[in-house]
Amino acid sequence: MNEAQAPVDGALYAARQKIYPRDIKGRFQRLRVYAVFALLGLYYVLPWIRWGERQAVLFDLPARKFHIFGLTLWPQDFYFLTWLLIIAALALFFFTALAGRLFCGYACPQTVWTETFVWIERWVEGSRTQQMKLAKAPLSGEKILRKGTKYFLWFAFALWTGFTFVGYFTPINELAGKVVTFSTGPWETFWVLFYGGATYVNAGFMREQVCKYMCPYARFQSAMFDQDTLIITYDEKRGEPRGARKKGSDPRAAGLGDCVDCTVCVQVCPTGIDIRKGLQYECIACAACIDACDEVMEKVGYPKGLIRYDTQSGLEGRAKHVLRPRTIIYGSLIALLIAGFAYSITHRNVVAVDVIRDRNALFRELPGGLIENVYSVKILNKDAASHEFSITADGLPGLQVDYGTDAVEVGPGDVQSVAVRLRVPRGELKGGSDILFTIRTQDERALEATGKARFLAPTN
Amino acid sequence: MRKAADEYTGRLRWPRLGQDVAIVAWPSFLVASVATMVCFGFIDPVLVGNDDYPPPAFQTRMAGYAVGFFFFWLIAALSSLMTLYLVRTAHPEPADEGTDDGTRSPE
Ligand code: SF4
Ligand code: SF4
Repeated sequence: MNEAQAPVDGALYAARQKIYPRDIKGRFQRLRVYAVFALLGLYYVLPWIRWGERQAVLFDLPARKFHIFGLTLWPQDFYFLTWLLIIAALALFFFTALAGRLFCGYACPQTVWTETFVWIERWVEGSRTQQMKLAKAPLSGEKILRKGTKYFLWFAFALWTGFTFVGYFTPINELAGKVVTFSTGPWETFWVLFYGGATYVNAGFMREQVCKYMCPYARFQSAMFDQDTLIITYDEKRGEPRGARKKGSDPRAAGLGDCVDCTVCVQVCPTGIDIRKGLQYECIACAACIDACDEVMEKVGYPKGLIRYDTQSGLEGRAKHVLRPRTIIYGSLIALLIAGFAYSITHRNVVAVDVIRDRNALFRELPGGLIENVYSVKILNKDAASHEFSITADGLPGLQVDYGTDAVEVGPGDVQSVAVRLRVPRGELKGGSDILFTIRTQDERALEATGKARFLAPTN
Repeated sequence: MRKAADEYTGRLRWPRLGQDVAIVAWPSFLVASVATMVCFGFIDPVLVGNDDYPPPAFQTRMAGYAVGFFFFWLIAALSSLMTLYLVRTAHPEPADEGTDDGTRSPE
């Protein structure tokens, strides 16, 4: 889009200048603070919540089971995860079409953690001007102390983040115990440091560069925009020509627009761009410039909203359409998928069976003209209660099923392997046939599952 | 006043090397994460291998996942690196007033 600007890029080799976003208060910034607290709160607290005997949310990788409150997902339920990912992707499209980069501004982990790191920075080093002064100042005791404190706090916060991350995959209580006694396993230690390190580098140093150079979403989101997408814009018609003016003078008489050219909107921008140059892919839609500009407008006594959320149509004075083919299609697709997901997860079969033929012997000929095949039948009980199962088999006349007992008990969330012998009178049996195994619960809750296997017999 | 603004808007590029490392490492990291999830959603690492014994790196599941993840990351990074190399070493796009038949004149 902006290829026309490319030739200026002798700057490609210039080192990045650190951006010191200026602190700003306002309604959107308040919203963002709530979002940060809600999301990070959720992230740090969730693994500590208990559900009965176990951690409420635990992606137990060693056991290959995912626990999410009352729900336990097995590898066989993997497609639910895929399904969820598709819903999430569609939701992202939907919200992008509606209101631009809402995700970037309010919910992206990159933004949320960067925000926290910026707060820490401000808390230790002071305001934007103080930070810039400190950076330029010669090395001194105070500089070392301030910078050291900042890095230490960042480091501690990042470590805690890494620890929490691993706490989603191994029981966090045990992990905490191990951390205190310095006895974490090699992989646990590694992942804590890996995730913590990534947080430290991404939120402490790379910041807006992640959005500018590394994030695929930042590049393709504009493809989901249309004339009716809410974006953060500068009202050029109203603002230009910009310029400083005397207090109380009539801007129109001086041939000026409403922009007083105070550059506050640029100073607050975490990605260091000038929104007055139009929508740019660097803009993460944090709305800091809206709040900043509103404050200025209030001070000079002009109406707010020189920079505001608006649509292309709105800026050009046309009617706005929230409902349009794009949003209706995305919206109904999401609704459909969510309904389907909810239905299938509540109606999923909580028992499963896996039948494997004994590999060591093809078949056995028993006295009395019987042919025997041996199978290992694996019964999977994903239910929260224990069940007793019977095993039956169909597919050949006169089939006898023998698995030692009448009922196999399988505990909640357990797998039980049963050796099953099938016997068939020799008769006209030839070659192989397909057998259908059925496992059925013997108790009040009727559950069943089937599995297929081959029955082999002599060919002559 | 304009100057003050430009001081913070212009030239926000990082040195080429850092940028290159980032655009190779990051997308391949994302791809490797997805690949690991899909792969180990279907395959149990301790069941990998012949004759019922897993290779040493897959002795435990956690080790298996980690080895798998870094393997995918490496492969994806190699692919990203090659793409980047081809992009970086190509001639610049011909200017608008290119030759009529669309070919590039020797530079
Ligand atoms: S550009 Fe990418 S990394 Fe940055 S906030 Fe948006 S989604 Fe997150
Ligand atoms: S231009 Fe405004 S909304 Fe966009 S990133 Fe900068 S401050 Fe945030």
